[in-house]
This record gives sequence, C-alpha cells and structure tokens, in this order.
Amino acid sequence: MGTMNLKMLLESKELERCPFPIPVGWFHVDFSENLKVGEIRNVQLFGQEWVLFRTESGKPGMSDPYCPHLGAHMGHGGKVCGEHLRCPFHHWEYDTSGWCKSIPYAKVMPPVVKKQAILRTLPMVEKYGMLWAWYHPQCEPPGFELPYIPEIEDATGYAGARRGSWTANTCIQEIAENGVDTAHLKFLHGAPGIPPVDASYDGPIMKLDIGKGYIVGTAYGPGLNVMRFNQHGITATMISYSVPISLEKTQMNMSFRHVDYAEGTPELHASKKVIDHMIGAAEGEESAGFESVDFVVWNNKKYRPNPLLCDGDGPVLQFRKWFKQFYPGQEDSTKI
Amino acid sequence: MARVHIKGRDGIELDIDALPGTALMDALRDANTGVEGTCGGMMSCGTCHVYVQADWLVRLPAKSQDEADMLEAIGEIVPVKPTSRLSCQIAMTEELSGLHLEIGPPT
Repeated sequence: MGTMNLKMLLESKELERCPFPIPVGWFHVDFSENLKVGEIRNVQLFGQEWVLFRTESGKPGMSDPYCPHLGAHMGHGGKVCGEHLRCPFHHWEYDTSGWCKSIPYAKVMPPVVKKQAILRTLPMVEKYGMLWAWYHPQCEPPGFELPYIPEIEDATGYAGARRGSWTANTCIQEIAENGVDTAHLKFLHGAPGIPPVDASYDGPIMKLDIGKGYIVGTAYGPGLNVMRFNQHGITATMISYSVPISLEKTQMNMSFRHVDYAEGTPELHASKKVIDHMIGAAEGEESAGFESVDFVVWNNKKYRPNPLLCDGDGPVLQFRKWFKQFYPGQEDSTKI
Repeated sequence: MARVHIKGRDGIELDIDALPGTALMDALRDANTGVEGTCGGMMSCGTCHVYVQADWLVRLPAKSQDEADMLEAIGEIVPVKPTSRLSCQIAMTEELSGLHLEIGPPT
C-alpha cells in the first residue's frame, strides 16, 4: 500500500490477462424470441455449460447440465415435461428452481429433495424482450433488480432496431474500465480532448457523466449499462449487455435506440449519426467508436493490479474498488 | 473387531464382526442380512434401517436431523419405532461390541 513496486512495473511475466472470477450480476442470456416453449439447448456462459429450457407454461430455466443423481448431461437427451426438465437417464425431474419434483421409481423420496433444491439453477427474468440470468458464485439470490428502461420497454415513443454483438477476448471488468479511463478517449479514439468525468457509486450502481452531459451512463452491476449520448440536440441510447463466456472471453451485446422521430427529420438523421458514432466511424466525426480501436487493446493487454497512473487519468482505482463487490470471496486478493 | 448380535428378517439370530472405524451398515451389508445401504451413507435411501435393542440405544450417538427425516420418510412404508436407526450412521467402535439389533423390514 502506498509504495511503488518497481519490480512489478519492470517485469510483466507474472501479470495475468484476466485474474478475475466470473462476477456477480444479472446477465443477458439470449433474446426471448430465441427460446421456444418446450425447447432445450446447451449454452456456454459464465465459464461452464448450462442447459437452457422453456417450460410448457413459458417459464425459462437455466440449470447445471449434470443430473445430481448419476451425472447424466441433461442437455443431451433431456426433455421439457410440463414445468420440469427431465433427465434422460432415469427420468428424474426438476423444476426451474432446481427442486427435484419426481423420481418415477422411488418408493420414498430422499428427504433432502423436500428441503432444498438439489440441482443448481440460475434465477431468471424476462425483461426488455430478453432472457436474463442471475449469476452468483456462491448461489446467493439476486441482490438487485433490473431497472426500467423506457427506450426499450415503452410501447411507443422510441425506435431503432439496430443491435450488435461482438466477442472480446477479455473479461467484463477490463472492458468496463474504459468507461472511466477518459484519457484513452483522446489518444486511442482520437477525441479532440480529454473529457472531464464524474463518477458516482451507489451499491451495484455506477453513474458516469462524461464530458459534462455528453455521455450520461448508468451501470447496473457488470451486465447492464445504459448510456445516453446527448449531441446535435438529440439523445440516443446505447443499451449494453455484456456476458462472460469464460474467464477471458466476453460477448458484448448492444441495442441502440432513439426517440421515434418522423422519417426525413433532421432529428432522426442526427440520432442515427450519433449511433453510428457510438460503434465506429461516423460522417464528419474525427474520433473513432469502440469497434475500430478498443478491441486491439482489450484482446492483447494484461491487467496491472498496481498500475502507474498520472494526473489526468480518470478514476480508474475508484472504479476498480466499486467493481470488486462483484467478486465475493476475493476481498483480500492482491491480484485484482 | 466388534461383535454385533443380530436378529435377521427370517427371525434367525447370529453374530457378525464389524470393523471399528467403519459404518455398521457395511458389516450388515457384507453379511447378506438384507441391508442394502444403496446410498452409501447419504441418508437418502433408508435401506439400512435397523431396530436397536433399547439398552444399547442410549449408548449410541444421537440421531442427526437428516437421519430422523429419512426415518420419518420410510415410515410411510415400514414400521418405524423409537428404536429405529439407520445403520449407516452408526460408526463402529470397540465399545459397541455386544450390540444387539434387529434388521428392519425391506422397503
């Protein structure tokens, strides 16, 4: 604490690219329309495989693949039976909360199955037309709720079908850290200056104001970030929902929305231009969006737990302190 | 070795030896008494149910809640008495030599 570790600065071999566990939070799994009633499929998320399914009544479920009985992979031959996921091996059935509801041949149900869930499942909600799963390494219940986002939830008033999905070969914390690293906006993205940043932290929520109202963003844990770009007299919204595939791979997903301006209006043109600029190059803009410049850094960098920062750098360390809450059990780690 | 005196399901009485440090269930299973011990000591099958002779019952460690719950569950299909125990939960010791019990009915 408070001393410079010159050896660490000079020697990078001991550094890791992503020394973090999978963080706690709500994460996007898929769009609701992609999971039909009765469907069952395997997905790779949070560093392991999961069985994603939808019950007959429409409830989504996401479970550990391996049956607690004798370990069959329920995503290979398992079925949705009513409200349950049924293992192919001996037809043990589980509900979406992981409670064993049927063992067709047992005369006596093991008492434990009446006391607790025996299959690990993730709490799920459907919101914004998407499936969301709550990941917690110690299986704690959700610690916060997903927010109301008018741009994507209101039936009228907003438009924009543009979505994007990118794979980054790094972890969510490293990606999110760019939000507070304002100096890189000038040098990596080519912004005309280093914008001022105001960050405030409240539990799992971080609010960022970059450039005195130019970009106003709110992060709800590591898996959802709503950023409103105010430029050219309009507000355009980037809803970003990244999900960890593994410790070193993240799927970055985004939806872009704007006010439902009439066709041909300058406001609509400005909205679309601002959205172009969020992602990549835009007509008349000198600075670059994340797509063209950030990946080369993310995909090749290492994480320095003790970085050498200078005046003019953004509130990187405050951000890291905030993010650490999403790694329960790692409070004393010196690697993160 | 600890000597265990058992009354089988057929009413025949016999003595078997149990190795201290192992579960009583193992000795009963290996002696073909009808004890199955299917779950291996997880208290999830109830197939190692025995009735312990009352004077020995007090010398055994008390039942855990999980054992009591499993006994309660098999009570739907076999008679469960105050002397009922799951033999997988009885760790054998030299001091238990002379233990008297009756094998529970099949579940």
